[in-house]
Amino acid sequence: MDSEEPVVDVPVVAEEVPVAEPVVEEEVVDPHAGQRLVVIKHHALVRLSHWLNVAILFGMIVSGLSIYWASPVFVHKANPITHSRDYLADLGISIARHVPGATADTSWFYNHFGLGVFNLAGGLRWHWLFVYLFIANGIVYLLGLILGRGYRALLPRRTMFGESLAMVRYYAGVVPMKIARRPWPHPEITTKYNALQRGAYASMPIAGALAIASGWAMHKPVQLWWLERMFGSYDGARIVHFIVMIYFILFLIPHLILVLVDGWDTMRSMVVGWSVVRESVVGSGGPEIAAEVAEAEAAPTDPLLPTPAAGGAE
Amino acid sequence: MSDELPQVWIDETKLRKRSRRDFLLFGAGTLAAMAGMWWIAPVSSKKRILGEHATDFLDTIAARVVATQERSERFQNRALTFDDDIAEALYSPNRTVRTYSKRDVTPLRNNYEGRTPSRAYLDTWTLTLTGLASGNDVVLRLPDLARFAQHEQVTRLCCVEGWSAIAGWSGIRFSDLLRAYPPADGAKWAALESSVNLDGRGNPDPYYVSIDLPTAHHPQTLLATHLNGHPLGTDHGAPLRLVVPMKLGLKNIKAITKIVYVATEPRDFWAERGYSKYDGL
Repeated sequence: MDSEEPVVDVPVVAEEVPVAEPVVEEEVVDPHAGQRLVVIKHHALVRLSHWLNVAILFGMIVSGLSIYWASPVFVHKANPITHSRDYLADLGISIARHVPGATADTSWFYNHFGLGVFNLAGGLRWHWLFVYLFIANGIVYLLGLILGRGYRALLPRRTMFGESLAMVRYYAGVVPMKIARRPWPHPEITTKYNALQRGAYASMPIAGALAIASGWAMHKPVQLWWLERMFGSYDGARIVHFIVMIYFILFLIPHLILVLVDGWDTMRSMVVGWSVVRESVVGSGGPEIAAEVAEAEAAPTDPLLPTPAAGGAE
Repeated sequence: MSDELPQVWIDETKLRKRSRRDFLLFGAGTLAAMAGMWWIAPVSSKKRILGEHATDFLDTIAARVVATQERSERFQNRALTFDDDIAEALYSPNRTVRTYSKRDVTPLRNNYEGRTPSRAYLDTWTLTLTGLASGNDVVLRLPDLARFAQHEQVTRLCCVEGWSAIAGWSGIRFSDLLRAYPPADGAKWAALESSVNLDGRGNPDPYYVSIDLPTAHHPQTLLATHLNGHPLGTDHGAPLRLVVPMKLGLKNIKAITKIVYVATEPRDFWAERGYSKYDGL
């Protein structure tokens, strides 16, 4: 690494006084020359299942909507103009009205967000194909969570209520304060996730389990009768199943916005598993990390952290 | 940074090599997933997204590299049979379907695929049994069925479309009919047919379903003659329909005219139209 050269250069300078400075040489040599300090964030299996889930959830939702079309759960009295009885079809009609060239009818939503209308058989076939992948992927995720000990970052803590309020206050103010050009510091977070993230991420495996359980409750209400009873009734399972889908979508929106706002390092960590260290460890990691640290918002130094290698490049 | 994140020093070159490897692997995975999605996506959806030309172009390329439409269909149908195998493995002859009280009864939709047949067929209606141990066919009329013990049950009918209805059925047990007229040795399936079904224009369009004999033997599998205390109307399959509440509604064939016992899985109306075959709930 080029940036480490000054460190290596020191003994060369010391050559002029070869006898006098052997001890200094010992102190000056960076034990981490050519190395980089990173935090290990996500286990390989967690990363794998995370990205597989993009495709699988996509398959589940688009096929699920084609199944839903055959018999919508949430309906109202028929609209005299659009003839729609179904809230999702209504949503499609209102979107299609703003799409040039689109026919704003009851099938628009299912043709553009699902596998299409009159495709119940194809929708079911996709749904069964993807659900077994979804279940297998959930197991891979849980395995990765255990092996990488990532589950510890998802467990609830005593500080979560206060921290959640602080985060809600922060998110509520971040845009107005940006406009007002007033400083609006991010609450001090010393853990992998803030309380809101932790709640959202911890709820995902629960939502996944609920989606699978409610799905099987209506898929096999006779053989898995106890599962159907758990949701009250057959229709109870249908309602839960659909609400969980909405929850997945509601999770996805802030998830995507926040990862874009947070930047490349966070995004990359879900591919490579590591993240750069953002603390003021300047001096041990060389200019490259120093630059990254300067870019990152002023994060607080954790007093519990081990002090980076003494006598760095200075 | 945090109390639960391990910090480690990693060689720059090693880190760069590993990151490159991960990006290449995940990139290849993304491309593979997108290609796979394209392969199994319905042509109509693909044309909606990319248009006629681009879809044909990409599908032609896919077919050249062996990802043909036929293979896609076969692959996806395997998901259906896999799911059916799971359903069959879950089936227990001792598990009873949940029954309800008469107060729970809800309106039942007439979900005939085509037009509802007119009453004319009722005068000449008979039920023919073939594939029996005796080697001879048996032709039954309603009075012949009335001699069997009558059973009543209030169960839920679940449609593949997602809706369901609770209805009170009465009639004879399929198992009693099987005992009275035993199928030939080696028979594993019952092929139930209705010759009186019509298509949407009112032309004859026979309906047929396959029922595995373990399901036919289940005590809650009825050959029903009454719905909610009244004789069946043509809308619900007069004079005799199958009530098999451990299967999807589409297996509950209306206006049965023929039962054939066979050794190999018989054809099934909706399985031929892309749905699964076993349909166990």
